[in-house]
Amino acid sequence: MLDVGRHPNIELLAYSEVENVQGQAGDFKVFVRKKARYVEENKCTGCGACSEKCPTTVQDAFNEGLGTRTAVYAYFAQGIPSTRTIDPDHCRQLNGKKCGICAKVCQADAIDFDQKDRMMELNVGAIILAAGYDVFDPSLIPEYRYREIPNVMTAMEFERLLSASGPTGGHVDRPSDLAVKADIEPLEKKINKSSRTLEKFEKKYDLTSQEFYTSYTSGEFKDDDDRKKWADKYQDHLSIVQTLEALKEKTKTFGPAKRLAFIQCVGSRDFRFYPFCSGYCCMHSIKEAIIANEHEPETTSTIFGMDIRAVGKGFEEYKVRGGNTSGITYVRGRVAEITEGPEHNPVVIYEDTRERKVIAKDFDLVILATACAPPKGMVELSKILGIALDDYGFVKTSALSPVDTTVPGIFVCGCAESPMDVPESVAQASSAAERAAEIVFQSDLEKDKAIA
Amino acid sequence: MMSKDVLIIGGGIAGIQASLDLADMGVKVHLVEKLPSIGGKMAQLDKTFPTNDCAI
Repeated sequence: MLDVGRHPNIELLAYSEVENVQGQAGDFKVFVRKKARYVEENKCTGCGACSEKCPTTVQDAFNEGLGTRTAVYAYFAQGIPSTRTIDPDHCRQLNGKKCGICAKVCQADAIDFDQKDRMMELNVGAIILAAGYDVFDPSLIPEYRYREIPNVMTAMEFERLLSASGPTGGHVDRPSDLAVKADIEPLEKKINKSSRTLEKFEKKYDLTSQEFYTSYTSGEFKDDDDRKKWADKYQDHLSIVQTLEALKEKTKTFGPAKRLAFIQCVGSRDFRFYPFCSGYCCMHSIKEAIIANEHEPETTSTIFGMDIRAVGKGFEEYKVRGGNTSGITYVRGRVAEITEGPEHNPVVIYEDTRERKVIAKDFDLVILATACAPPKGMVELSKILGIALDDYGFVKTSALSPVDTTVPGIFVCGCAESPMDVPESVAQASSAAERAAEIVFQSDLEKDKAIA
Repeated sequence: MMSKDVLIIGGGIAGIQASLDLADMGVKVHLVEKLPSIGGKMAQLDKTFPTNDCAI
């Protein structure tokens, strides 16, 4: 990533979208909208002072909504360019409220609330489409209750939990536990506030709240409005303390998720959605199970799949090693349903086709290996480029020219073409780069011919 | 006008690889990414199979 930011031949247009394309191979005219960041890229040093002081918190898309960020943010810590961006949907200042704290704390004077989208016109010889993919939305499968049961999550969400730079710092905490922990902080703030109010009363009447409350409940000071207020405040305070104590008691039973279930083919090899295999999900689940076991050696994982497709260099060995040394059990069977048992434990109901038994088993956490779906906006983009898509919304190519789209001079690589893993994406990207270079250097060759 | 530049749409691992390959060949590249930072899905990954190497 850093190489891209530094390379003299690369103009990086992040936070931008292609709006219109005209022309043909060798001579395309492209209109790009550079969206307003409300932060000047050439002034921002990426120090992060603005994010520290921003009062607005928003769910963090990079962490799959498991963490929070502020309204002025870096998409992720090591992101290139390192410029911050202001989220126009959540920023107080941009929504007409009084704020502008980020502009005050910015020493580089980079915040510009009046920045507008900028249109750019580019002249290019070839175009490479590498628009990637989206994770399939598992809530479309009602029997897996993805949004209803907190401890059922997607493989990408689990990836963020495993990451040392993720919202839990690499601890595999269950979302149901995280929700309880998230409730504690606002309660503590409330208690601090009410203690301050009570302190004022205590100073005023030179009496502790507890002593006062005892005499108040025994019938004293009934007609005093100020003292009644004190009593009400103290009552509220006590009830908050009680709730907080109960929550804290509950968190003592929490620990990392140690019994994991991975469910394969969620949305893929499913005739209701994508009938084909996404290719990388089996290996992704095995990898996550191995890493989870590295973090917490007592972790055991069960991978439910029709078959485990470990096709690739070193993949089968990785699968076997996972089973032998990382506590993974492979179960052949498709999961019929997930329900919720006591303690927010998801219960997986499946048929073990080797044992010929229908079994219901509870786990700490269920991870769904979701299908690779074409990215949102792919249809619009294909119209802008004039290229054809296949039946499922991936870019149409042919088996013998896997990086050529239906328009000469426009090439495709990565998951925009079809589901594939990282090494395949990289190989296809190099192939697309070479095809684009052919077009670009062709004009040179023709010129040479004319001179000769 | 015939152009020798290349436009790359998408700054994930595929777009990054294609950009670097072309830029190293001496081709001027314009890399367009929708999100505030490049990196794509791979940046969200912790490690990659089958070697457990760190992602980008």
